[in-house]
Amino acid sequence: MESTQMQFVQNFPCFSIMLCMFAGIVSSVLKGRGARRLNTVVLGLNIVMSAAVLLFTVSKGEFYVYVMGRFSAPWGNELRAGVLEAGMALFFCIIMLLSLLGGRHKLLQEVEAGKQNLYYVLTDLLLSSLLALIYTNDLFTAYVFVEINTISACGLIMIRQNGRTIEAAVRYMIMSLLGSGLFLVGICMLYDLTGHLLMSNIKTEVAYIMANGTYQVPLLVTIAIMSVGLAIKSALFPFHAWLPDAYGYSTVSSAAILSSLVSKGYIFLLFKIIYRVIGFEVFHDSKIINVLFVFGLMGMVFGSLSAIKENDIRRMIAFSSVAQIGYIYMGIGFGTQVGMVASVFHVLSHAATKSLLFIAAIGLTDVSGGSRKFIELTGAGYRNKFAGAAFTVGALSMVGVPTFSGFISKLLFAQAAVQNQGKMLPALLVLGVSTILNAIYFMKTVIRIYTPVEHTEYPAAGWRQGRIYAATLVCFMILNVILGVFSQPIVDLIEMGLNMFA
Amino acid sequence: MIYTILFPIVFPIAAGLLLLVMKEPENRKILTGITGAALLITGCAVGYALFHVKDQEILLFQLTATLPVYFRPDSLGLLFVSVVTIVWILAGFFSFSYMEPHEGKREAGEKRFYGFYLIVFGVLVALDFAGNLITFYMFYELMTLLSMPLVIHTKSREAIMAGLKYLFYSFCGAYMVLFGLYFLYRYGNTLTFTPGGVLDQSMIAGKEGLLLIVSFLMILGFSVKAGMFPLHAWLPTAHPVAPAPASAVLSSIIVKGGVLGMIRVIFYMFGADFIRGTWVQLAWMILALITVFMGSMLAYRENVLKKRLAYSTVSQLSYILFGLALLNPIAMQGALLHVVFHAFIKCTLFLTAGAMIHKTGKTKVGELRGIGKKMPVTMWCYTFASLALIGIPPASGFISKWYLAEGALDSGIRVFSWLGPVVLLISALLTAGYLLPLTMKGFFPGEEYAAPQAALKSDVQAKLQADLQAGTQTGVKAGPGRRKLLPEREASLLMLVPLVILTALAVVLGMFPNPLTEYVAAIAAQLL
Repeated sequence: MESTQMQFVQNFPCFSIMLCMFAGIVSSVLKGRGARRLNTVVLGLNIVMSAAVLLFTVSKGEFYVYVMGRFSAPWGNELRAGVLEAGMALFFCIIMLLSLLGGRHKLLQEVEAGKQNLYYVLTDLLLSSLLALIYTNDLFTAYVFVEINTISACGLIMIRQNGRTIEAAVRYMIMSLLGSGLFLVGICMLYDLTGHLLMSNIKTEVAYIMANGTYQVPLLVTIAIMSVGLAIKSALFPFHAWLPDAYGYSTVSSAAILSSLVSKGYIFLLFKIIYRVIGFEVFHDSKIINVLFVFGLMGMVFGSLSAIKENDIRRMIAFSSVAQIGYIYMGIGFGTQVGMVASVFHVLSHAATKSLLFIAAIGLTDVSGGSRKFIELTGAGYRNKFAGAAFTVGALSMVGVPTFSGFISKLLFAQAAVQNQGKMLPALLVLGVSTILNAIYFMKTVIRIYTPVEHTEYPAAGWRQGRIYAATLVCFMILNVILGVFSQPIVDLIEMGLNMFA
Repeated sequence: MIYTILFPIVFPIAAGLLLLVMKEPENRKILTGITGAALLITGCAVGYALFHVKDQEILLFQLTATLPVYFRPDSLGLLFVSVVTIVWILAGFFSFSYMEPHEGKREAGEKRFYGFYLIVFGVLVALDFAGNLITFYMFYELMTLLSMPLVIHTKSREAIMAGLKYLFYSFCGAYMVLFGLYFLYRYGNTLTFTPGGVLDQSMIAGKEGLLLIVSFLMILGFSVKAGMFPLHAWLPTAHPVAPAPASAVLSSIIVKGGVLGMIRVIFYMFGADFIRGTWVQLAWMILALITVFMGSMLAYRENVLKKRLAYSTVSQLSYILFGLALLNPIAMQGALLHVVFHAFIKCTLFLTAGAMIHKTGKTKVGELRGIGKKMPVTMWCYTFASLALIGIPPASGFISKWYLAEGALDSGIRVFSWLGPVVLLISALLTAGYLLPLTMKGFFPGEEYAAPQAALKSDVQAKLQADLQAGTQTGVKAGPGRRKLLPEREASLLMLVPLVILTALAVVLGMFPNPLTEYVAAIAAQLL
């Protein structure tokens, strides 16, 4: 960064993190409705600010570093904003806003009246931690916010109080803490090896270590531990055991946020570690990348197989997440820039699609007497037309039908695959198999919800109370099609951002 | 220029969307009026485009940096698009009468049917105009998805299960194609359709085995739509359950999407020389011949008329595929001619079947005895179309089969140069065997049919008719004992005019085939 006059816009990353924190604190004394409004305002402000930062970085063509407080590197704390960070923050805020809007009426039913404001406290905290994970340039700060993220995510699962969610939250807590524990161990070892906590400083030291040829094994172990820690937290197969219950039984906004934002936050952290802490070349040369690749491929197949066996629509969508996370890790596993671009794009595409599916599914189960079994869902697409259409769009996107975002993801992955001699054949084969598996369970569901029934005791959804819900779904569908059709500018931005990363 | 290409694609899609979102109008004439006008306008636009857009390209947008979505109508695309347009408009007008209200009750979902019918029209034009494989693939998938509502129109359990089957098979096929597309992207210079292929010779050295597998997968993938054994099973299930106009276009047009796909992939992407003399060509020929024989055999054994016609589609499409697989200019000519002729003939056959079923409510061939007396024009159309399909000169089927057989004999491929024509001949006999009985029983029902009819008083007959209409309406199949007689009604004029035009095309094109033959000969010469 040039040492010239700082522009006001450059404060925005810090502002948005702080704003969320304070909103969380203030919400704890507000009533449910007030907390909700505050949350919406905060999200709106965050969208504006992230968009401003995005525009700023794009027009400048370079990232900038924001020093927190008066201590400069290597002691102080730093934020760092580039195109990818700002874009991701913008996207996360939009998805979160839509998820909360779409799940709002359900939240009112499922969470006790006195605890409504708590829900917004938790989402505010979650958002602040996500933004911090995106922007921070300091590994230890990242760790702190990983923990905040974990705690608030547990709260989001548990706030709908029944036996299943408490069990799910405990499971999530244990697995997630294991993940952050490993991550912490990794940070400690890295600190030990390099003597730094700021990402950019570590990177220079790591390059030095590699050049010297000393401490190769500890470094490899560190990379492995950190990757596995984040893989557990983002539910990479075979560490996904906590996922179906956590996504399947929590209230719908939580499920949408957890699947599309929380796990993606960790993946984004992994991207940062790969590019900015370890260095892309070093990471590429380690064997870890092949492990991630294989796990990714396995996730793609086994996640879909579990989804096919599932008889509960919410859990089915949850298992499909396992498969989609597998795609992302496969992209990382290629170890090429193109693969990374594909992975980042899939983070966006999956976030937009999965939250859409969760929100749409709740509309379908609501008009089926609250049951999530497929047999009850027969014909639900007619009883709630918006939810039916939205679910169909989401399903088609997941299957990878052209004009929806999922198709572009698959295309990008395939392009990345064909450029990688050794991994081309397995990647393409698994991509093909997984696509067909996706088609099986998603199309089965779509057909099910559009199978007409002669007599149904369930009334159709009313139009009046569902207006916000319908509007949310329409926004989601538009977002999906935008990603699917105007993908090129977005891919360009991602490439620009990744170049700033390196 | 850009609008000349885009208009026939965008206009019907927009009109279809308009129909889907607008409120169901009180007066049905508004609905048919809009649809009819949209069909005709699109038809004119395509007609205009035929003479102005050849080899022009327009870029729609960049899908990714190296993958443009763009249109470039070439002679092959224009051939397909003219067939699509003729059939689509005629079958569309037929459907106005087919969907008319029974006893004051409107056909459910009529608006939706027209809406999707128009949208698929636009998508098909786009499919034929597509300039590269990725564009083609996009519209191919859209064609599958958007034609689905036509299949499940009646929303009966049977229709929905058939639609499901259709979707599964189609998606599986499409993904085989997509899989191959990734490889082509890797080993080809471009994905733009280029006569003679795009494979980069230096890059594929040593990888021929892999690419042959890929090319076979892509053939199999497209063969789902084209109903080639072993992936043909969806076709006889899905085509008959759709309403007659829909089954007509499914069987005559949509399936040709698969044929076009194969031509595009083999002759424009891999290049015919790449698979000539390899196991891929051999396997393709064997599968096609098996399908020709098997389809005819199954049609021969089938008693439900529309199913019989669907099996006949399976068999006839593999004539085309066999012609392509020979990789020989004359056979290719025959295949392309058969694409055109089969579209008109099969559309006629399905529409006549639809008219008969619509008026009588009877679906089995055996129950339609004496139909020729009641619906003579319809029955004559059926008969002429049948003769054309069997390949009796001078009707059109004869010409295409002639070229196919000649191409096979010329090809010099051992065994197949004589086995091909033999199988085609046997299949032609079977075709006669499964199509003509209806004509014979229809016109010559025999003694036992005429006798009870004369004995009946007119009031009895009126009662029977009312009975029958009620039966048709609720979808009750005619029981053998209840209604022995057929109603005294010819199909309406709106049905007859498209039928007669299509039949005339099927016959007259066989008598004056030269312009068409020369046109396809030019395409074949360019490709082989």
